[in-house]
Amino acid sequence: MNASLRRIGRFLAPLAISMALLFALWYLFLAAFPQVGPRVGKSPTDVWSYLFSGPTSHTARANLLDNLQITLRDAAIGFVAGIGAALIVAALFVLFSTLEQTLLPIAVLLRSVPLVAMTPIIVLVFGRGLGAVAVMAGIVVFFPALVMIMAGLREAPRQAQELVEAYGGNRWTALYMVAIPSSLPSLFAAARISVPGALIGALIGEWLGSGEGLGSSLIKAIPRYQYNELWASVAIVTIVSILLYAVVGVLESLVLARFGPDAGRPS
Amino acid sequence: MTPSFHRREFLRYSAMAGFAIGGAGLITACSTSDSAGSSGGSSSDGSKFGSVAVQLSWIKNIEFAGEFFALEKGYYKEAGFGSVDLVSGGAAGTGVEAGLDTGKIWIGMSAPQLTAPAVLNGLPAKIVGATYQKNPFCIVSSAAKPINVPQDMVGRKIGVQDSNQLVFGALLDANGIDPKSITVVPAQFDPSPLANGEVDGWVSYVTNEPITLASKGFKNHAMLFADFNLPLVAESFTVKQETIDNERDKLKAFLIAEIKGWRDAIANPAESARLAAEVYGKDQHLDVAEQTQEATAQVGLVVSNDTKANGLFTMTKNLVDQNIAALKAAKLDIAAGDLFDLSIIDEIYKEHPDLKV
Repeated sequence: MNASLRRIGRFLAPLAISMALLFALWYLFLAAFPQVGPRVGKSPTDVWSYLFSGPTSHTARANLLDNLQITLRDAAIGFVAGIGAALIVAALFVLFSTLEQTLLPIAVLLRSVPLVAMTPIIVLVFGRGLGAVAVMAGIVVFFPALVMIMAGLREAPRQAQELVEAYGGNRWTALYMVAIPSSLPSLFAAARISVPGALIGALIGEWLGSGEGLGSSLIKAIPRYQYNELWASVAIVTIVSILLYAVVGVLESLVLARFGPDAGRPS
Repeated sequence: MTPSFHRREFLRYSAMAGFAIGGAGLITACSTSDSAGSSGGSSSDGSKFGSVAVQLSWIKNIEFAGEFFALEKGYYKEAGFGSVDLVSGGAAGTGVEAGLDTGKIWIGMSAPQLTAPAVLNGLPAKIVGATYQKNPFCIVSSAAKPINVPQDMVGRKIGVQDSNQLVFGALLDANGIDPKSITVVPAQFDPSPLANGEVDGWVSYVTNEPITLASKGFKNHAMLFADFNLPLVAESFTVKQETIDNERDKLKAFLIAEIKGWRDAIANPAESARLAAEVYGKDQHLDVAEQTQEATAQVGLVVSNDTKANGLFTMTKNLVDQNIAALKAAKLDIAAGDLFDLSIIDEIYKEHPDLKV
């Protein structure tokens, strides 16, 4: 238990510092570019009073939370679908290397097409509802996760796999008993970096596709000259993204601690 | 349909995508301007008023024919400007009011329903003239399933661009339609979603998409906002209050060049179209024949009996009152004196009566 606490601490401390740095950067940015002005450039204090102490803060907060819920739902679906698909495809690629040699280059090619350029096609195929948004969030998550999980599966200790073979296990048994447990650190690393990815995918999907959620409302705030709402939305998305990253990190620490104090760390 | 992405459009998307990447991404959207120095009007280039940046409300098509003529024929130079930089617009990130507020631009083509919220939020800016006397917005729909009155939109899907959300909302408010009864679909520049049946209606300028769609063989119907309680002017010149107070001569000189440019544009729609398609909006791949039709239709929006009597860009008291009433219906409660300052344009015609058409 002590080990896992230490792990969690080692993970969360720098994260808290970077959160503080983010606010410092925010103030610094506004100070460095004074031409942005007080109406377009809102400081953390402005956003705070917009959300918590201003005269309209109640409706502002309700509106923002409604949109955030939609965005979190979209991102969650994309996250689960993207990681799930990456896990299955990575396992298949590692088991059948010919499959990998044929399909991985195509996957990399597809990855290099910018998501926004694919949006009209995705929207046409999957409609403008949840489907398209989830597909877009999933695409952002899928490719980096695929590469990381594959690398993790490959790093499985050779001797342990040979042991499974010596006892008559086939390659599925080796995958299940050796490769998957030993790839847990990569799996979690992939999950962690996929959290912001899923949110970005959801935001783009909402902006260009479904027209609901934060991805749409923060763009619509601009012609209405509601820069408080815009900055508040961006701040909320950023904070939520860091918090979710932290949650996955804590889970990771708890799980990996079961595999010994140094599991998942370079020796 | 082939969803075609213009290079410009793509760049804009990429910029906005960068914008979506976390909080720090906002920096990319706000700091991309390097023209801040040039908008103040330094005359380091030897001209009287130096160079200025002008924010357009849309991509470079015939909607800015007057500006193209003013550049082509040197009216801006004649007026004392070193160079005039026309900045394409239309996306949410290229609003005139934000550009003025952050010093990126000196003047912009906006509209009352965009300037009013900014003024109400504390931006000291005013409209000093209006190119389009009549509201150019319409809902274009398939001729097979036409939208003839606003009530026809209930229960259907309408494509609305980010920058036009406000004017669309105003149309609904002015006609007592519940926004929840309509599915608003986010739209960009390309009206293909209407042509391929993905949406039932599309917000556009009556001079633009109805003509391009018809020339591609898509029979359509246009319902004008102006016919349904929304007599808003458009392509209005919006400047900061300090420009009116401290740079009145410069503003007058600019508007005089604009008047000359627009007089030419009205007189020669074919040349307007050529300038848009072959010179200034070359990268938009516009069609000259289409643009000529649009430029011809546009004359009806720019010229009215009032402008024939008082000159281009002027607004009668009656027109101002209609605009204020329409804004009020859209929950933008603003006094005429806080939004419009037409004294500059009136002065110009008093000093140069020969500029009246």
